[in-house]
Amino acid sequence: MDNAIMSAASLHRTLPALPGQHSRPVSRSKTRLVRCSNERQVLFDRIAPVYDNLNDLLTVGQHRIWKRMAISWSGAKKGDNVLDVCCGTGDLAFLLSEKVGPTGKVVGLDFSKQQLLIASSRQHSQSKTCYENIKWIEGNAIDLPFPESSFDAVTIGYGLRNVVDRLKVLEEVCRVLKPGSKVSALDFNKSTNPFSTSFQEWMIDYVVVPAADIYGLANEYRYLKRSINEFLTGKELERLALNAGFCSAKHFETGGGLMGNLVAVRYGYIP
Amino acid sequence: MLRFGRVLFKEAGTGISKTLSEILVCPLSKQPLRVCEKTNSLISDSIGVSYPVVDGIPRLVPSDGKIIDDEEASNSNSAVDPDAVKNDHQRCSS
Repeated sequence: MDNAIMSAASLHRTLPALPGQHSRPVSRSKTRLVRCSNERQVLFDRIAPVYDNLNDLLTVGQHRIWKRMAISWSGAKKGDNVLDVCCGTGDLAFLLSEKVGPTGKVVGLDFSKQQLLIASSRQHSQSKTCYENIKWIEGNAIDLPFPESSFDAVTIGYGLRNVVDRLKVLEEVCRVLKPGSKVSALDFNKSTNPFSTSFQEWMIDYVVVPAADIYGLANEYRYLKRSINEFLTGKELERLALNAGFCSAKHFETGGGLMGNLVAVRYGYIP
Repeated sequence: MLRFGRVLFKEAGTGISKTLSEILVCPLSKQPLRVCEKTNSLISDSIGVSYPVVDGIPRLVPSDGKIIDDEEASNSNSAVDPDAVKNDHQRCSS
């Protein structure tokens, strides 16, 4: 029922940014890692190897459907240049690759080196030649390293809930989208329905955490409940997208209300 | 608006293709980057920072960058227009 792995993989994004972490590097003639980044690297090393397997286990394969829906909502099509923000181990990027085909281009961006290494090794272990159109970039979602109006579509899978500054991320996404193009952001749904909320919490407590505990990752997955509580409702996400500069925004609930997908259009769209 | 073209991205070991460098900008200044094969990095002349490329993956998190000191800067060209990128690439590779 959830993409716990992607969420856990994005744990580092909830940690507050240290001074200078998103600003000009401070060391001269040598690189100095921020301590927080080191801690995040250790976390990702621990979680990364089980990501994909736990995804399938916990969602009984349902996460694949939600991700395909997210791709459809993005409007990505053959020949497009597309971006997947918070790409993790690459699930959405691979789906985008199939969608845009060999004449298109896919860029997968993530904060985590280890996640990207797994994504890259998955890419090279696949026999599908269309995956050659994927490029991986280590980057921060709040400081996207792309020019304005670069992409025909952008997707974010289980990343928006975990970033430090959601408004800034959406502003950046809006900036790099071509006018008239869309962002499709899939994530847990913070429901306003008490029954849905209770069911979601029950699933985390009695299904997700015990399953994660098998791998010694119970604490990492307990984080899910708090992060969903701190997330925004569908209506709040729509408002956030409009504040970020999108001309229209709509949030769709999926997975029986457990998941949600925000779709927003950059100005310039002509229906 | 950039044109990606139909050229496949090319990776040569830990190197970086020029095609990839053309779609990227400095995450802080949003200005173009140039490839420096000598240091296997992407240079942001606008703010004097270099970003590493490891295993073919550019590391463009701002904290991954390092300030280019004066000696390194004097060996680099500060121009950032596309034509200058090609000249800088050649100079850096020599």
